[in-house]
Amino acid sequence: MIFDINAFIGRWPYWPMRAASAAEVVAELAGWGIGGAAVCSTRSLFVHWEDGNREAEHAAREFPELVPFACLGTLEVSHRLPVGGYDFDGYAARGFRGVRLYPQHHSYHPLYVDFVDAILEDAAARGWPVVLPLRTIMNWGMPMLEVGVMAALVDRHPRVNWILAGINYLHELDMSLALMRRHATVHLETSCIMGYEAIAKVAARAGSERLLFGSAGPIQHGAAGVAKILHAKVTDAAREAILSGNARRLLRLA
Amino acid sequence: MTVDAHVHIGKSTRLQIDADGELLVRAADELGFDRICCTDLTALFYDMHEGNRLLAREMRRFPDRILGWASLHSTRFGRAALEELERCRHDYGMRGLKIYSTPDMSIAEPAMLPILEKCVELEFPVLGHLTPQECEYLLAGVPECRIIMAHAGSQPFAKGDWNRAIMAAQRFPNLYLDTASSTIDTGFLEACVAALGAERILFGTDTPLLDPWVQCEKIRQTRLAKADLDLIMGGNILRLMGVEQ
Repeated sequence: MIFDINAFIGRWPYWPMRAASAAEVVAELAGWGIGGAAVCSTRSLFVHWEDGNREAEHAAREFPELVPFACLGTLEVSHRLPVGGYDFDGYAARGFRGVRLYPQHHSYHPLYVDFVDAILEDAAARGWPVVLPLRTIMNWGMPMLEVGVMAALVDRHPRVNWILAGINYLHELDMSLALMRRHATVHLETSCIMGYEAIAKVAARAGSERLLFGSAGPIQHGAAGVAKILHAKVTDAAREAILSGNARRLLRLA
Repeated sequence: MTVDAHVHIGKSTRLQIDADGELLVRAADELGFDRICCTDLTALFYDMHEGNRLLAREMRRFPDRILGWASLHSTRFGRAALEELERCRHDYGMRGLKIYSTPDMSIAEPAMLPILEKCVELEFPVLGHLTPQECEYLLAGVPECRIIMAHAGSQPFAKGDWNRAIMAAQRFPNLYLDTASSTIDTGFLEACVAALGAERILFGTDTPLLDPWVQCEKIRQTRLAKADLDLIMGGNILRLMGVEQ
């Protein structure tokens, strides 16, 4: 069964989408041959991260094939200083299995705010993977992180099980591969990798054990994302690992 | 018949490409493509004469598989560019013009208009790496020219805004859209066909820059009628290039 490490529920503000609710997303993913997915809600990106987390939590309760990731942002809103911190035990009790950070959507610089370090230290202690997307989808209209910022954050927190997402261009892949060489905790997600024979090249240079299939569906076309793995010039064992086994191992799924 | 309307041949260190006809035809065989429409990278970015000559050689090696886009590396070469297009049509048997544009060196300028007029005369469609706004400028100048907006707005200079590309094509009936792109947004193709009809959408992969399997799947896995898919996957580009099917 193909497992998608980077899917979404929720509405898409830029153009009409045919899948938004959890039921619609599960059906859309299934139509593309994807049987399970780590999700967060787009509400977390565009409205409020915790409201979106509640949607992801409810979606996973209704559809066990969905694994919720907590999308975390700043606790400071309406110019009031934050009170308290993140309730990681609570997130664990609610079924969350990992974290996603979207600084480019949440108006903070991840190298200069304390709360990001707090999140990453807690995630490392729990062994929770942290998804850090350079871009949400492969579309130039979307806000991006800077490559150097991504690299600096990973180097600052090498114990975190990182999943670098939204990587495509050659220099971005080079950065990711360099981080993978430096830190055994760094993984690479495939949703935005579009280059000619790029999956095979990455697998040859970094091994297939830390490559994770991601679709960014249903915003991106999941079948197209699957196709690049199915047709990649890698061994069948590597293909299975990329499509499912690596993510299941990382998330400790049965 | 499946025809890839957007393929690059030749060399570019910037793009990390060195691809001859043999490599590209072998890839086309794996993908099940009958024909590929190629533009030479040297002609596109450095020297039109040398690059188009190289492409013509590859076309002769694979006459049943490679269709040629003549390329110009600039609009600023006046009569030499027009003569090159004549040569590409009559001596090399090429079937259209491919040209690139960037925000810092846009081809949406008066110097491009005689080139478009020459393309009309030669019955060349023009595959342009253009933004919607550039297409609108050019088609306002030479409305009878058939322009294919490479990537349908899904390229960096157009900010990936394929919705804007569709709006431009709704205004200009001779504007066509090519599907090749790193962007694989769901709903893109359905929106194009709903707004413009399948006759104005062309399948392309941008091989060997992009993964062609991704480009195929984002077209084939849509909820379109087979007749529409047949047009998109090859019928339209052959009709525009005047190639018998």
